[in-house]
Amino acid sequence: MNRFRRRSAQTTTVVLALAEEPTAWRYGAELCRRLDLRPGSMYPILMRLADRGLLETTWDSGVPAGRPPRHRYRLSGSGRALATELAAASATTGPVRRGDLTVGWQGR
Amino acid sequence: MSWTRRRFERIATWVPVAVWAVVYAVALAVAIANGDPPPAPESALQTLALPPLLWVVAARIVLHHWWPGTGARMAAMDPPARLLAAAVATLPDHRRQWGMAMTAELAEVRGRSARWRFALSSARATLWLRPAGGWPVLALVAGVVVAAVVAAGPVVGAAVPGLGVFAVSFTALVGAMVVLAVARARRPRLPAPAPTLVVAGGVAAAIAMTAMFLRRVPTAVGYLPPARAVYLAAVLAGCLWVAVAAPRWLGTDRLAPHLGAAAALVFGAWFLLAFRVTASLDRLDAPLLLEFALVPVSILVVVFAPLAILFLPALLAGVVGRSFRSGVQAAVWTVIATAPLAYALWLPEGLRRHAIDGALFDGALGPVGATLGDAMVFSLGALPAFGLPFAVIAAGVAAAITRPPAVAQAPPDGPTTSR
Repeated sequence: MNRFRRRSAQTTTVVLALAEEPTAWRYGAELCRRLDLRPGSMYPILMRLADRGLLETTWDSGVPAGRPPRHRYRLSGSGRALATELAAASATTGPVRRGDLTVGWQGR
Repeated sequence: MSWTRRRFERIATWVPVAVWAVVYAVALAVAIANGDPPPAPESALQTLALPPLLWVVAARIVLHHWWPGTGARMAAMDPPARLLAAAVATLPDHRRQWGMAMTAELAEVRGRSARWRFALSSARATLWLRPAGGWPVLALVAGVVVAAVVAAGPVVGAAVPGLGVFAVSFTALVGAMVVLAVARARRPRLPAPAPTLVVAGGVAAAIAMTAMFLRRVPTAVGYLPPARAVYLAAVLAGCLWVAVAAPRWLGTDRLAPHLGAAAALVFGAWFLLAFRVTASLDRLDAPLLLEFALVPVSILVVVFAPLAILFLPALLAGVVGRSFRSGVQAAVWTVIATAPLAYALWLPEGLRRHAIDGALFDGALGPVGATLGDAMVFSLGALPAFGLPFAVIAAGVAAAITRPPAVAQAPPDGPTTSR
């Protein structure tokens, strides 16, 4: 539970969004659009999750010619465990709303 | 503003000319205000034309090699993509792939305003990385730096009167670099430890010799006004920064830093030799014929040797590395290793020479304190200002020598008409 308390609402939202289809790879811009988060908030969250081994990353080379390969993300095993923990906590305290996302992503 | 090669060629031509014209006009105005006679027209024309010519040639060579790769790629981008590319270029190595990820996602964003929003927000993310060790460590380091800057002035100023402004400036600049390194979680690159040691040793020697000179010649304070002290600090801190935390593009060639450091040591030896040869020639009471015979030797030693020392490392690195970039890296390392060392050697040699016959480096009689000004103008002003473009031209020559021969265009396959 201590791990959860240190996470911001934005981080929680990202983790839960990635957990909806845990095996699917997601793109950064797609996550930004879906969660209505700016990349300036999204990428630091993704970096932090990847640094802590909660996120798997890979490069998608199947892009049209002339475009750079895209970075894709999905939760790792421990990331999925965290998502389960966060989902349970959300069910207890209520869903995270967009208006709640005011805490910095580091949760400090 | 559209990015075209022609536009950049114009910039590479006219910016050095305009900058030099301003520098020359200011220097001339100061000289005339000090009561110096104005230079002869031919001399003024030469001084006005030759240095910018060197810079224009060097800038055009750099452009020639930069444009086909990075330049053309940047030209194909829209302004938001250029902004993000510039921000991503500042990321430390271990965050580089995240920058590439943002750049790739920007390529998927449509619409001018949406692209600007995405680029600006991503650029913000690249600027606010978590510092090495976290925010408390950054605050602690910043606090130590501020305390060091505040203490440097009075402490150094009391020990060596006249060195206070330099101490504050140098501490502030080096401290800012340290804070920036912690804030960006950037580790020192140290691309080549031995050359880094040569540069750092040169910078340390330059500071030690300045302190020694000011203690031995207290009147030399007049030759180190605040503006010059800040300039001295900026040049020395800049050399140190390049050596310790070399930008990525400057630390890729293994040979270049070693060639630059070796050139600096040779330059130091030449400098001592030239100082003593010219001093001996000035005092020589030789027959006129012998003096005439010694003039070519003197020119060879004093003029052509330093040119060769600046030219050869870049040429050699460019030829061995078969790339213009290798040559430029050697050019930069040569200048940052040579300038502090030359300055550090000039001061004790100037004292020694003045004690013998009361003359300065050029043989003219003058106050010994003027040695400090001469050392700065030559070693930390003229040497980088002229040595760097000269060495870059050498890198261009190396690239031209090693350029693979153009392959003759084969006729396209397909049906040919016959008569």
